[in-house]
Amino acid sequence: MKKTLLAALALGLMATTSAYAFQEAPMLAELVEKGELPPVDERLPDNPTVVEAIEVGEYGGTWQRAFKGPGDRWGPTKLMEERVLKFAAGPDGEVKLVPSYIESYSVNDDFTEFTFTLLEGLKWSDGEPVTTEDVSFWYNDIFLNEALTPTFETTLAPGGNPLTVEVKDERTFTVKFEQPYVYFLEILAQDSTVGPSLDRPSFIQPAHYLKKYNDHYASEEELAALSKEHGVEKWTDLWGSKGPIAAWWQNEELPVITAWKIQGGVTGNTVTMVRNPYYFAVDQEGNQLPYIDKIEHRLFEAQDAFNLMIVQGQIDMQMRYVTSNDFTFYMENAEKSGYTVSNWKSANVWSLVPNLNVTDDVLRGLFENADVRKALSIAVDRELLNELAFSGLGEPRSTSPVSGSPYYSEELEAHWTDYDPEAANALLDSAGLGERDGDGYRLRPDGKRLQLVVETDQDAYANLLELLADNYRDVGIELLPRVIDRTQWDDNRENNNFEVQLIPFDRLTVIPADPRRMMGENNFAAQYYIWHETGGKSGMEPPADHPIRKVWASWGKASVAKTREEADAATNEMIAEFVKNGWVIGLVGEVATPVIVKNNFRNLPEGLVEDNITRGVGLARPQQMWIKQ
Amino acid sequence: MLNFVVRRMLWAIPTLVAVSFISFIIIQLPPGDYVTAMVAEMRNQGEYVTAAQEAIMREEFGLNDPMLVQYWRWISKIILHGDFGHSFHWKAPVSDLIWGRLGLTLTLSMLSLVFTWIIAIPVGVYSATRQYSMFDYLFTVFGFLGKGIPDFLLALVLMWIGFAWMHIDVGGLFSPQFEGRPWSLAKVWNLMTHIWIPLVVLATGGAAGLIRVMRANMLDELGKPYVETAYAQGLSERQVVWGYPVRVALNPFISTVGWALPALFSGDIVTAVVLNLPTTGPLLLQALKMQDMYLAGSFILILSVFTVVGTLLSDLLLAWSDPRIRYS
Repeated sequence: MKKTLLAALALGLMATTSAYAFQEAPMLAELVEKGELPPVDERLPDNPTVVEAIEVGEYGGTWQRAFKGPGDRWGPTKLMEERVLKFAAGPDGEVKLVPSYIESYSVNDDFTEFTFTLLEGLKWSDGEPVTTEDVSFWYNDIFLNEALTPTFETTLAPGGNPLTVEVKDERTFTVKFEQPYVYFLEILAQDSTVGPSLDRPSFIQPAHYLKKYNDHYASEEELAALSKEHGVEKWTDLWGSKGPIAAWWQNEELPVITAWKIQGGVTGNTVTMVRNPYYFAVDQEGNQLPYIDKIEHRLFEAQDAFNLMIVQGQIDMQMRYVTSNDFTFYMENAEKSGYTVSNWKSANVWSLVPNLNVTDDVLRGLFENADVRKALSIAVDRELLNELAFSGLGEPRSTSPVSGSPYYSEELEAHWTDYDPEAANALLDSAGLGERDGDGYRLRPDGKRLQLVVETDQDAYANLLELLADNYRDVGIELLPRVIDRTQWDDNRENNNFEVQLIPFDRLTVIPADPRRMMGENNFAAQYYIWHETGGKSGMEPPADHPIRKVWASWGKASVAKTREEADAATNEMIAEFVKNGWVIGLVGEVATPVIVKNNFRNLPEGLVEDNITRGVGLARPQQMWIKQ
Repeated sequence: MLNFVVRRMLWAIPTLVAVSFISFIIIQLPPGDYVTAMVAEMRNQGEYVTAAQEAIMREEFGLNDPMLVQYWRWISKIILHGDFGHSFHWKAPVSDLIWGRLGLTLTLSMLSLVFTWIIAIPVGVYSATRQYSMFDYLFTVFGFLGKGIPDFLLALVLMWIGFAWMHIDVGGLFSPQFEGRPWSLAKVWNLMTHIWIPLVVLATGGAAGLIRVMRANMLDELGKPYVETAYAQGLSERQVVWGYPVRVALNPFISTVGWALPALFSGDIVTAVVLNLPTTGPLLLQALKMQDMYLAGSFILILSVFTVVGTLLSDLLLAWSDPRIRYS
């Protein structure tokens, strides 16, 4: 039996396409009249994707935003990313997968084959058709091209075996794996298929444009000449993260399928994106999207500069870099400058991360002791932190899936979060830390004072550490806060040179789309994780009975499960194991994420969860937003 | 004179080489490199980069080569082709990034220099000739305040005043609708409405110090016999003061003109960041933070060239203005 999950694509529209006249933006209609652009019916697919707009909008306008330089390219990207499937929020806020530039998709019984059918008549932004030739090009000439893809993303090569692609016809192709891959669709919705980079679509690349830059088609001399022309040393430098050719945010000529496309690259003080006349989606009344003509991002460096832009009414809608710290300031000026502050909820939990691999043996012994971890957790007055450091906009909780996540559990959320300094003291006493020095601090078994150096790279949260220091002094532990530079902070973790770090632990919604954080990657057991990932070649091996092995084993089970139920059960096991061990000490999470929305800016849903996995503001489908003129 | 100029210019070359070399090394001293910074940023944004990919990137960017090789790759292109290399972070030629911002930086800096002098010289002269008068005390107080208040704080306060009470658009040098548009009269006017805050901030900071210098120099000069002689000749106070002691007292101004150039270029970075100015300062800061070494290196090199040229310039000016200077 073949289980076909036909997408719920505005069925009403499909049958009547020919009779239906699509509408388009006035600026495009003008071009059509001048003969510079084919009519809208020829530009749109036969059955365009329907993005149900909250309220049918008007065309036009420029959306003003701010961005922080090329490193912030995901700010602009998240407004317009396209994958074969995307996360979207349903009317009740729950997150579901919706097809984007495909007509349908199907999955076989044991989750080893995924078949996708591209929209009939789908076109690149230069008007060329998107076909499976673009899929083959992506697969044979980029993905399997060692010069361009020297290593495979683990997400695209589960168990070390990369996916294979089989083209059926002009629009249909099948992606195959050697083992079941239940969560592949979620991963596709989060991640692109060309890495490392999130700003590309899945499975397709514009072959007609890129062929001349690819060594399977162009000769060595041609490539050398092109490299010279673009001022790079090797032709591969034109691609990937360095590529002035293959990255949409550098090359305005690169054909894309997104609602907007870059104009002029990213070197000036503004980054501009303009509408793609061939964008494949319409609203429920057949108006081609997007509604907004243009998006402009102004460069800023300092938070104060950005905040001033906001209170001067220069930002039409933005969530990124709008902080809950400055909430009052935004509110005070909202009326005067004609905006409101809407609220989303962050999927981050601010957490303390003790390093299980710390080089100090005594400290490592203590961190490995569950009683000590519990004491560290219940010694924290989370209500106080929430009130004083987050203006009461968050909630005290553990580092576990946030509410609204399909993996949310009330019990896990409350794990070790009740403030109880007495019990914490008792736990520490019984853990062999009963001796105290003249200042009332506990002594470690080796006679040194029990001190924890806690690092953060975010000076805005230094006050959080000061409050924590008070809490820990009450149980005889000296917390030494260190606000350090970002590079140093990352470097310390890379080189296993930290005791405790303060981090916003993220990706707590659709856990299987990126479970690596819970497996220790880049945080509480970075070295163990490296050992696990490299098959023992580097990193540190955890003891044979170490509970982190259970976390890995559970994920191992989930990642080869043959059914969704089986996989989810294993994922839940993994999450429970991670949370119950309390390796990461969650403090305050689900903090309100303020969103600045100008009074004439429409169609931004309220109260959704902001997470990297669901692509931030992308969850709200920006192509259906509009500005009342 | 010509001999002097040529000799000074020749000396500048080894100085520049040494400075460029040292600056290139200094940029690389902090832990990690550009790939560390970039990968960390990518991971934070949800991109997944394996250690193998990281190693490949390092190889691609040429970060594994010995520092001397990297230095040579950079400096040889500059010397041979005038090519300052590529910025890793911006993925663009360094020259595209720098020269575009330089025009605005120079405009802003020259204006603020002129502004500084317009304030500092008359006030300094007044304070010296009317020593211990009420206005002398008043200027002294203002001078110390100006020196004591950090520029960025003054910038914030002025921005707040502009925003909250004067209801004008503050921050940056242009309103959103003019940013990135071709020059027009309206755009120049828009620049004028924005440029006064940075001007006031930069000029007050500089002027506060210079007032004190001017006052002290003038006091030294005013007591000298030639001044008394001039008065005895029956010249008016105005003729005496502006004709002789002021010219001598200006000497330190002229000899530091050269330093003004690099200061202008780096454009008081913190202030520029706070005011969100599209000048060179914030770009340099970011380049250093990201360890974008070719961009940062190029900045520092250009800064050094400016210092050397500036010093040469002030030496020449000094030689011209002060007959006591000899060329050997």
